[in-house]
Amino acid sequence: MANKERNNLELLVKALMLVAIIIFLWWLLIAEKDNHVSVEVDDGINITPEQIQSIRDIGQWEFLSISNEELVDTVRKGLFSDDQLVRIYYGTLRLGIDLSKTKKNWISAHGDTVVVKLPKVGLLDKEFIDETRTKAFYESGRWTARDREALYRKARRQMLSHALTKQNLKTAEANAEDHVRQMMKTMGFNNITVTFEK
Amino acid sequence: MFFYYSQMTKTTKTILLSALIALVAGCSGSDGEGQGEQSAYQSVDTVPMLIMQIQKCSRLYTTEMKIHKIVTHDDVVKLQGQLLKQNIDIKLPMGDRKVAIPIDATLKAYIDFSDFSERNIERTTDGKITILLPDPKVELTSSKVNQQEIRSFVGIVRSRFTDEEMTRYEQQGREAIIQSIPRLGIVDMAKASAARTLIPMVKQMGYREENITIAYRKDFKPFDIRKFLEVRSEK
Repeated sequence: MANKERNNLELLVKALMLVAIIIFLWWLLIAEKDNHVSVEVDDGINITPEQIQSIRDIGQWEFLSISNEELVDTVRKGLFSDDQLVRIYYGTLRLGIDLSKTKKNWISAHGDTVVVKLPKVGLLDKEFIDETRTKAFYESGRWTARDREALYRKARRQMLSHALTKQNLKTAEANAEDHVRQMMKTMGFNNITVTFEK
Repeated sequence: MFFYYSQMTKTTKTILLSALIALVAGCSGSDGEGQGEQSAYQSVDTVPMLIMQIQKCSRLYTTEMKIHKIVTHDDVVKLQGQLLKQNIDIKLPMGDRKVAIPIDATLKAYIDFSDFSERNIERTTDGKITILLPDPKVELTSSKVNQQEIRSFVGIVRSRFTDEEMTRYEQQGREAIIQSIPRLGIVDMAKASAARTLIPMVKQMGYREENITIAYRKDFKPFDIRKFLEVRSEK
């Protein structure tokens, strides 16, 4: 009799354990749907202040803007394979006249006649590469700050040779003359002479 | 092919010949320039220079502002997710990377004279002149990454910063500088600076300094007009 009761109790415990296991597995299966683990890396930069280093008045009159993209690369020969760094640099060369270079009485007006003597058209700013727009195109191997600096200088040379041509300077000068003439006409002058310093 | 050609009717032959002639004409006679290139076998190296865009303009840059910014990035690797309805956010050991990139940027404010016309000038009979100028615009004209001063720290289980990652952080730094332009007050400085540049010019044209006024006209964009209309309608 006692044996039978014990058997019944064991059976009940086993049934309860089975039910508990089934419930646990069911819960696990339900919970399984929401399970996800991934490795996360933050790709944004931190918030840092912008410091104004200098402010100055300038008088640079731009008449031709040459936007440039240059693909520049450098190769380092290795024993088994070559290392290569390829970047795309962006820059805008601005051609025009620097009003700080004008001479005294560069505008002389008498009645409806005006004579304007402008300084030579040239590159307004020697710093024209927007290096923070640079795109990394290809990189193999390890490259130092000096290598990147050399690449920047190479891009600068290429942009100068492509954009600072006689033709572009001539176009800028012609456009400068047109705009100054138009401006003087707007100011009420009828006889306008525009010349450039040699 | 010749067998099939001989078997064709006269009309089919005519159509086929016409199509062949048209095809040959289309390939060879599109333009003289292309023909010249083909005959001379000239090859042009277009790899070094991708795009060069030339644009005529008339912009008077009046103010230059030099900005310095140190772009920093903390690269922490975390194991994130959900396991058995429990949120997981574990920082992986020795997986930190840090980089600081010093950037120098030049901002320039300019007055666009491209559409300067009689509408911008108001003259009175008593010798007074008012020049109406459009609002100055600001442009990031150049930027330079101080490569020598870049500092980076890389955890033992992490790889170094790649060129692609570095340029991405630099681009974000550039965007942050552009976003900060309204706070820098360069537009107001440019307005005063433009007056300092233009008044001596107009003086040389025969006007007395006290008779010269430089005023600014806001260039209303469709968005501004809509805003204006919305305000008016609310009232």
